Amino acid sequence: MIETAIVVAIIRILFVCIIITAAYIISTRNLLSVVSVYALQSLTLVCIALALYSLEGSIVLLAIAVVTFISKVIIIPYFIATIQEKIRIKRDIEFHYLNPTTSLLISMALMLVIYMALARIVQGTPARENLFFFGAVLGISLMLMGMMVTFSRKRAITKVLGFLSMENGVLLFGMFVTELPFIIEFLIIIDLIILVILTTILSVGIDSTLEDYHKRLHRFHLLEESEEVS
Amino acid sequence: MIVELFVLAIIILFAGTIFPLIAASLDRRSVRTISLSCTIVASILLGSLSLMVLLSGESVFFSLYQSLPAFSLSFVIDRLASFFLLIIAVVSACVALYFTEYIEHIDGQSRRNLLCSCTSLFILAMVLVVASANTLSFFLFWELMAASSFFLVMYEYSQYDTRKAGIFYFIMTQLSSLFVLLGIIVLYVMTGSFSFLPLTTASAPLVTVAFLALFVGFSIKAGIIPFHKWLPYAHPASPSPISALMSGVMLKIAVYGLVRFLLDVFTPDLWWGVLILAAGTASAVLGIIYALKEHDVKGMLAYSSIENIGIIFTGIGLSVIFTASNLPLLATLSLLGALFHSLNHAMFKSLLFLTAGSVVSATHTRNIEYMGGLAPRMPVTSALFFVGAVSIAALPPLNGFASEFLIFISFFSSVSVVDPLFKVLLFFCLALFALTSALSAACFVKAFGSIFLALPRSPESAAAHEVPRAMLIGPGILAATCILLGVCALQIFAIVGLTVPLPDMLLVSLLLLGMAVLTYAMLYFIASREVRVSETWGCGTFSQQASAEYSGHGFSEPLDIIFSAIYRTRTINERTFFDQKNCIFKGGTGEIRLLKVFEEYLYRPIAQQSLSVAKVVSRFQNGCLDTYLLYVFVTVIALIIFLGWFA
Repeated sequence: MIETAIVVAIIRILFVCIIITAAYIISTRNLLSVVSVYALQSLTLVCIALALYSLEGSIVLLAIAVVTFISKVIIIPYFIATIQEKIRIKRDIEFHYLNPTTSLLISMALMLVIYMALARIVQGTPARENLFFFGAVLGISLMLMGMMVTFSRKRAITKVLGFLSMENGVLLFGMFVTELPFIIEFLIIIDLIILVILTTILSVGIDSTLEDYHKRLHRFHLLEESEEVS
Repeated sequence: MIVELFVLAIIILFAGTIFPLIAASLDRRSVRTISLSCTIVASILLGSLSLMVLLSGESVFFSLYQSLPAFSLSFVIDRLASFFLLIIAVVSACVALYFTEYIEHIDGQSRRNLLCSCTSLFILAMVLVVASANTLSFFLFWELMAASSFFLVMYEYSQYDTRKAGIFYFIMTQLSSLFVLLGIIVLYVMTGSFSFLPLTTASAPLVTVAFLALFVGFSIKAGIIPFHKWLPYAHPASPSPISALMSGVMLKIAVYGLVRFLLDVFTPDLWWGVLILAAGTASAVLGIIYALKEHDVKGMLAYSSIENIGIIFTGIGLSVIFTASNLPLLATLSLLGALFHSLNHAMFKSLLFLTAGSVVSATHTRNIEYMGGLAPRMPVTSALFFVGAVSIAALPPLNGFASEFLIFISFFSSVSVVDPLFKVLLFFCLALFALTSALSAACFVKAFGSIFLALPRSPESAAAHEVPRAMLIGPGILAATCILLGVCALQIFAIVGLTVPLPDMLLVSLLLLGMAVLTYAMLYFIASREVRVSETWGCGTFSQQASAEYSGHGFSEPLDIIFSAIYRTRTINERTFFDQKNCIFKGGTGEIRLLKVFEEYLYRPIAQQSLSVAKVVSRFQNGCLDTYLLYVFVTVIALIIFLGWFA
């Protein structure tokens, strides 16, 4: 068995990784790397689950790690990569309400606010472990940062990634604070996969002619005139 | 007996509503006549039952339908309710009689069936409002009344003016309903019941809120200044019999509501009375001042309605003041004056609207400047209008005099009993009230003179002829009622068991009649028999021309100058030029227009404010997914902050 202090330290490092990936998802304009960063974020979550498993030994955590790995590291990124290949969009440069710099600044402020709010909430209760408290703060922050992505990006595909990142936040929160029943976790993941498949169908179309296909791409902000040529 | 009569009348009115709807596509006179006959029959039933209650003084309570434990469709007919039922009955019967003929002379083919149906529904709603025994059904029928009257106003919806008037009326009447509902809800919160029961808590802030809400609601419906603006729009736009119903009866329903709540529910404070008195006096004076300036005959009658409602409110305000200062005798007297004036106003105003409708349908114009010379062409109509004008001008011995006299008496007798500060207020109101009476006389001298006397000022007016008999009988009954209520006022009060300090008008009128007969006889015997043919009032000129006449504008000019501070005018110049530098003049228009003070400084700013608020609010809902996600985001953050710092 690995020593607890080392595991805790590893988890903290992983937390930092999650923050970095989240910040990258918010700020990057390169669409291809967003997907890989999402996969990386999910992988970090898998690692956190495994580390927690080594601390607590709960079998559910192991199961979560496995399911997350299969779905979020392999299947969902694979689907999205397929879409991207088909629609040939490389960059996402249109924003609503917030541009990346502002988003980053706001997310920093958000983390601070959530930290302070949660600190006040748990004040009276018997002091929780520092690690779990951080996990909760990070979970909520990740969720809100994902939400920021969903409303500040114009492209449907990035919105979906933002949503997926939100779900990662919920998973993180669940792992550290509430102990979601495994079945619910599993169902959420199935939902996510269905969502991604639906996105694929909607944005690419399974029954459309070429003209219709382009029209749909325009409708979902998946394609621009200039990019169509290249 | 009374219950059965009431239910029968309701059923007949309902039949009158339903029948033209069933035969909506049949453009037959018989359909409309049957429907209107139903209204007449129901009105007669209602009139007789209300007379029975009035004379016997007993109250009848009955419940028709219990839908919910807390709410039943129950009615109470006491003396107050039966008094207003009597007003509804008399006016509705005469209007329906007039309508049978009038409706055949207006456009709309089978749409006229719907007009009949709506009229019945409107009358039905008013009857049920007055008879309601709880506030919830009061409100339900109040709303039914508002909706049906909106359709009546919108009858000629193809005209722009009518649509504008209709929308204006709709908004105002819904505002009124809103305030009434607010008042009723506040009362329910306090008492936990919808019945008209006296409040136990005397002067809690909630009571004041309830009173103010109800007062504003009823004032809007009654047309008290500054909520009056719908009247001069809605009355000219709707068919004349509908104007007669709305002005004669519907405004009284608002008066009924106010009186009912003041008597049965509230224990009024002194300042409530001052508020009602001030609103009433302001409406009376401003209403008649605006009426003087109006040249649309129905618009003028609408403004005059505002004035008369002001007089009624003055009486109610006085009554509240006297109740609050422990003078029950005077309170009863002024309330009697207000109620009697409600009855009288219903009679002479519907008479005036009906005869004005006859005049308008004969001359095809509402502008009194294009009338004139109708007295020889429409002798009966002009005589009927004359009776109405004399009544509304409060000349003895007609009914307007009797009721205004009651209010004057309560003013006079109050001056010696209340404390000094109130004396000043009452003197001031008394002076304004006296001014109102004088001005209303001037206004109707102008109206009668311009419409009926002298020479016709337009070809349509010259070609006018007397209206059919049914259009004379309805107003005729009303005119007879006006005379009867005036001449026999003292006797009528005695029959219902009230003693009032009125002079015996029967004696006065007999004396007046005797004097007239004597004078005529004297002249008949003294005057020379020599026949001289010339034009009357020719002043030496040989041929009279309509253009040389004293016009309505001319008549009101001196008063215009006196009240020029109130009639604000606005000068508008519009010029167009041939070139861009505005050097070569092409054409232009200049206009001096009466400023619509309330509309431009009160209604429009409020409307614009609400529009801009609505614009801002509507921007929140823009159909963009991102925006909605942003709302969710902001909400979540707000929740987190709330949880952290405030929970």
